[in-house]
Amino acid sequence: MNAKITYEEGELISLLKQKDEQAFSYLYDNYAGSLYGIVKQIVTDLEVGNDVLQEVFVSIWKKIDSYDASKGRLFTWMLNIARNAAIDKTRSKNYQQFMRQQPIDDNELSHPVVRPGYDDYGLKKVILKLKDEQRLLIDLSYYQGFTHDQIAKALNIPLGTVKTRLRTAVTQLRIMLS
Amino acid sequence: MNVKEYISSGIVESYVLGLVSEPERQEFEAQCAQYSEVAQAKETFERALENALVQDSIPPPAHLKESIRSSLFPADQSYQVNDLEEGQAPVRPMNTWKWLAAASVVLLAGSLYWGVTANNKYNDLKGLVQENQKLKKQLTEASAQLAEVKISASALQQPDVKMASLKGTPVSPASYVTVYWDTTSKDVFLMVNNLPQPASGKQYQLWALINNKPVDLGVLKMSAEKLIPMVQMKGVQNAEAFAITLEPTGGSVNPTMEQLYVVGKL
Repeated sequence: MNAKITYEEGELISLLKQKDEQAFSYLYDNYAGSLYGIVKQIVTDLEVGNDVLQEVFVSIWKKIDSYDASKGRLFTWMLNIARNAAIDKTRSKNYQQFMRQQPIDDNELSHPVVRPGYDDYGLKKVILKLKDEQRLLIDLSYYQGFTHDQIAKALNIPLGTVKTRLRTAVTQLRIMLS
Repeated sequence: MNVKEYISSGIVESYVLGLVSEPERQEFEAQCAQYSEVAQAKETFERALENALVQDSIPPPAHLKESIRSSLFPADQSYQVNDLEEGQAPVRPMNTWKWLAAASVVLLAGSLYWGVTANNKYNDLKGLVQENQKLKKQLTEASAQLAEVKISASALQQPDVKMASLKGTPVSPASYVTVYWDTTSKDVFLMVNNLPQPASGKQYQLWALINNKPVDLGVLKMSAEKLIPMVQMKGVQNAEAFAITLEPTGGSVNPTMEQLYVVGKL
């Protein structure tokens, strides 16, 4: 841990599959911040966010054998675990009850997840540049985990329109990111 | 299929972001396997997304890593096992050294036994010392509390002390607190008859109401995460009523009225 080690992604994955403690430490040091970033976009409460990050690393650790490099990069896989864990948390009864008990100012469930702030970099910055209708769709589907069907019903627009707009929105994201 | 069109349809990004249906996912994976351009486009977007999210990093609280690490590696046994394995010398059949080796094994076993016993005794002793320190700390805390209560109690027997019963609001109907106000010295004492333990990160705060304006009289201190039954608060020159609200630790400038627990007139 003292000497600065860098692993190739393949090497890191095989060490993780061997349950190597140093590899875990490396994984945490390099990715916890990014994963915490996405978790905090979805779960606003500090303590709950910490719990979710813990769950994320435990589940990465447990599921690493099922990770298939041919389907995507390690980060993409971990990102989806983090996003799903955070969304699951916001759906849980406990969390909703907890948020109801918070003073109104802190309860931002009804507000869009991607909020402008002084620290808008990276993905957040790009999403804020999208057109309102596109941002809403990214918000509902990516950050709040609603299905296309649910969105179509909620916004009262045809399912096909939801799909097309969302595809345009994510293409726009790619263009702005590259 | 027009590969270029497929790539620019938004399917690549949707797949990476986890926004595709199950059939779409299967189809995309098949296309990736068949067309290297599709796989390439996927990889490019994955890297771009990864870079963007690295910029959105938020450092987690420092203690979190250790807490996760210790839940994954309970006793750190993997390290010990490795150390032992590395320390073992290869065994070679050398008759000349046989007796010497046997003797050293006996010696080693003896010293190990001694070491283990000594270590056990040391651990026992360490446990006792810790226990002792804990009891000592509890005693000091209890004595300090008692002294405080004694001072408060004697203060209340002064003839100029007025009393206000603060009754629970709909937020917490069973709550009940008594405030004693010394009209001469202006000291304020508070007795917690019944208040729920505040959640972590929260503290009760006492307010005096003067001309219907709240004046901060300080937060209710906690001892070992428990409310102290009798405390002296900040003094106040005048008061019509007193109220207690639940606030973030450290108190607030203005009371959070939705979290009003008890209120009562003097």
